[in-house]
Amino acid sequence: MTATPEMRDLVHRLLTYEAGAGKSSEPMGSPALRVYEKLRQSLGELVGVAGFYSLASRALALAKPEAPSLGKARVSADGALQGLGEIETQFEIDKNQAGDGGIILIARLLGLLRIFLGEALTLSLLRNAWPGEAFDDRNSAHGRKT
Amino acid sequence: MSTQDKVKINKLPTGVPGLDEIVGGGLPEFSFNIIAGAPGSGKTTLAHQFVFANASPERPALYFTVLGESAIKMLRYQQQYTFFDPAKLPGAIRFINLSQVVLAEDLGAVLEQITKEVEKANPAVVVVDSFRTMVRKPNSDMELQSFIQRLALFLASWQATTFLIGEYAEDELRDNPVFTVADGLFWLRQTPERNSVVRKLQIVKLRGQDSVPGLHTFRITDAGVQAFSRTFGLTGHAKNPPSHRRLSFGIAELDKMLGGGVREGDSVLVAGSSGTGKSVLATQFIAEGIRQGEPGIVAVFEERPQAYAERATSLGLDLETPQKEGKLTILYLRPLDLSVDETMHSILDAVQKIGAKRLVIDSLAGFEMALSPGFRADFRESLYRMIFALTGIGVTILSTVEVDESFTEFPFSTYSISFLTDDIIRLRYVSIDGQLRKIMVVIKMRGGNHAKDIREYEITSKGVVILGKRLTNYQGLISGIPTYSRRSDSTEEPSLDTGTEHKT
Repeated sequence: MTATPEMRDLVHRLLTYEAGAGKSSEPMGSPALRVYEKLRQSLGELVGVAGFYSLASRALALAKPEAPSLGKARVSADGALQGLGEIETQFEIDKNQAGDGGIILIARLLGLLRIFLGEALTLSLLRNAWPGEAFDDRNSAHGRKT
Repeated sequence: MSTQDKVKINKLPTGVPGLDEIVGGGLPEFSFNIIAGAPGSGKTTLAHQFVFANASPERPALYFTVLGESAIKMLRYQQQYTFFDPAKLPGAIRFINLSQVVLAEDLGAVLEQITKEVEKANPAVVVVDSFRTMVRKPNSDMELQSFIQRLALFLASWQATTFLIGEYAEDELRDNPVFTVADGLFWLRQTPERNSVVRKLQIVKLRGQDSVPGLHTFRITDAGVQAFSRTFGLTGHAKNPPSHRRLSFGIAELDKMLGGGVREGDSVLVAGSSGTGKSVLATQFIAEGIRQGEPGIVAVFEERPQAYAERATSLGLDLETPQKEGKLTILYLRPLDLSVDETMHSILDAVQKIGAKRLVIDSLAGFEMALSPGFRADFRESLYRMIFALTGIGVTILSTVEVDESFTEFPFSTYSISFLTDDIIRLRYVSIDGQLRKIMVVIKMRGGNHAKDIREYEITSKGVVILGKRLTNYQGLISGIPTYSRRSDSTEEPSLDTGTEHKT
């Protein structure tokens, strides 16, 4: 089972938002990494460092078969992604070639949230992390209806 | 200082049906409370209900999780309850995980973290779940005492109403600094009783509130925790003044035997063995009430409402139409782990919904069987509270009870509950002329005259029909094996007992 198109779609929207909001001078300039870090910060408050580590490592395990480029990636005890150079390169590729590596990892992470918490709570958490972005029913994890 | 100068403590809704009544109208604002109990006793669910009932974006709730249930799992399960509103997260309700600071640092750092979050969010409600895991850390009692006092002081000063949740055993209640500092202590228990589990809630302390003492039953359903006060939620209800109105059975001869009918607000017991027509009499009582514009409730335990209504139809009594018109409710209460308080809650809801004046409980034996074994031990006491509460608001109750037929005794009930009832009508079989016939006698009417006559009756297609006059040709009728005494049939009118109360 792969990351669902709806989740990939949602991740694309987050990446687009971050691409527009990000500054190239930031150390973690990749939109995908910024999305990941925002999720780490937001979810860390909710579930704790250990809780986020568990979710992220599970998401990575699910994503690896779909994205061989994540083969060397690891989640450290504090929830950060290790092997950052290679992954960041991968994420930079993702910025232009959506559909691999980072997108799949984040889609898997959001997919886990939806499994555990349901769509409504997942979207509430995303709204909290991205207050400027509208996550309504039309653009929900069920897919765009328009 | 006058009374008007006294501080008024706002009472917050608990969000738990029935609990506001138990805590004396609501939870005191800015109070520092502890919810204690064993794992699985409903502590977290109760706290969530309070949080969802009181949190707003302007004054949010902060829910600190520590080392107990993970927030993900907690939210996964809690959102199954109907009170859970996902839209309140994370704007009005924020979950903050403290496990890292608890594991890595000391209680001072924990307090600092809580302080920082509270100052940032200005919450109306703060929950720490589970607080117990946090207080296992301190190096000394003094450190714990200091931590608790500073936490309580800080949260009250910041105008937050607080719940600390902890797994505590009963024997930890004494000499515990946490309980000393707390304004409120809610203790939740679940006790196995044979094959059933009984959940009970006790307000061990609640400063400044007139809470209802004792153990209160509660249940956890898909709506969350629901509490059932021992006072049945009738604390605020005005008691009806004694009524002199008489309620008819719709059986003229029986009404005469009762001195004009059952006094309104009485509790009537109809006792007899199987097949003597107790349920028929009860059905006629309720049907006559409806005919006279008095809505009624029938609580049945031994047959389903449809069967009950169909049996009434066979007696020429229509119970279907009044049900459709909202004048009659037939409650079917069959679960095997009910408490009297829950049953009462269902009955009271129905009484209030349709403004019922008459209530039939058919039968007490079925009622007892529907209860959890643990509640059966308190059946008499519970029945007393229930009857007292219902008759106090003017409802007239008719209960049926099956008694074992004996030819050496004349028992009124198997529960020794005759003292709970105002009026007793006894039905029994007698052996006369090679036939098993039925007789009826009014044993007792508190506060009213009643006939002393023993009357023969039959159950026909029109219900209970009392035959002829009192039986004067037989001696020893109540033994069930009378002897013929060769007297002519009486033509006397029913003779009324002149006493105001017939002691039994």
